[in-house]
Amino acid sequence: MSATALSIVCLALTLFCYYACKYLYLRHRVWWLAPIFLVPLVVIGIVALFKIDLPIYFQYTHLLVMLLAPATVAFALPIYRERALIQKYPITIFSGVVAGLFLGMFSSWLLIKFIPLPTELAHSFIVRSISTPFAVEATTSFGGIPELTAVMVVMTGVVGILICEPIFKLARIRTSLGRGVALGASAHGAGASKATEYGREEGVVASLTMIFAGVSMVLGAPFFAIFVG
Amino acid sequence: MSPLPAVKSRSFKLLQLLLQVAFLCLLAWFTHTIAVYLGSPIPGAVLGMTLLLILLSFKVVPEKAVNLGASWLIADLLLFFIPSVVAVLKYEPLFEKYGLNIIAVVILGSSMVLLGTGFVVDRIFRFERRLNHRRRQLILATR
Repeated sequence: MSATALSIVCLALTLFCYYACKYLYLRHRVWWLAPIFLVPLVVIGIVALFKIDLPIYFQYTHLLVMLLAPATVAFALPIYRERALIQKYPITIFSGVVAGLFLGMFSSWLLIKFIPLPTELAHSFIVRSISTPFAVEATTSFGGIPELTAVMVVMTGVVGILICEPIFKLARIRTSLGRGVALGASAHGAGASKATEYGREEGVVASLTMIFAGVSMVLGAPFFAIFVG
Repeated sequence: MSPLPAVKSRSFKLLQLLLQVAFLCLLAWFTHTIAVYLGSPIPGAVLGMTLLLILLSFKVVPEKAVNLGASWLIADLLLFFIPSVVAVLKYEPLFEKYGLNIIAVVILGSSMVLLGTGFVVDRIFRFERRLNHRRRQLILATR
């Protein structure tokens, strides 16, 4: 097969895996069918198994990555649509964004003191709790590598939806905004879709927290990098 | 009885979706170009988001003109960074050597953020809800 044909197959494969997995997850809600867990695993598995060269894989799939920028622009819509909720609970949302950002950076700083990681990984770990389009922008300020950051973000999303229930029970976090904001601040898009399972308000506030945390991190990263990293 | 109207409205919706995504791409490209030209420390996409929010607030762009496209882009966000995650194969030895450490750090880190943020926000939300409630009663009482 020629290289171009193989590149097209790679794009088709990525699209197929994503939409097939999404379809399955909507029918059977089990965590290991969640697209954020299964799709990267399957696609990486296939690329590794058939020893497909990465430049060939990226030739057309990088068109998908280019859609991250318009997706970021699209975040204006939920902010506009849910302005009433923002005006009703500004203190709650603001404190959630601040707490999430602070704890995200503080936990990174603390954990890598006890659990050794090579610098490029440790630096890519700092912005893991925010949504990917923001994380890959902010990570370079901390000396992180965008690709490693994307993996950390995905892992954090998967872990977040797995541990949220026991943690909410343990800490008796029962309010709608408590759960929504915590999920949005700690597990970005994955957390927001998990929050939607608790209720509409939880899902909306999780998405809003995710967007505000992302924007704040991108704007603040050069400043935060003086203290962390 | 013909299935035509359904097919027609479906392809019309698809066209609408494509046009709206194209519009959002254009906006993102425009603000990116400006950000690069001005040497802005704020990334173009974030400027684009702010611009779209302003356009929506002043009703220059009606909500339904971007609704379909924006909803699709947000709902399928994961699809757009799958290729970046695949790039991790470049760092395979790193993950083989430090795999357990990485998993431990991610689990502990997420627990700390989730627990801390949830605990703080849960309390502040109860407080703000009471505050809103009291404010509403005050308004009702003075009426």
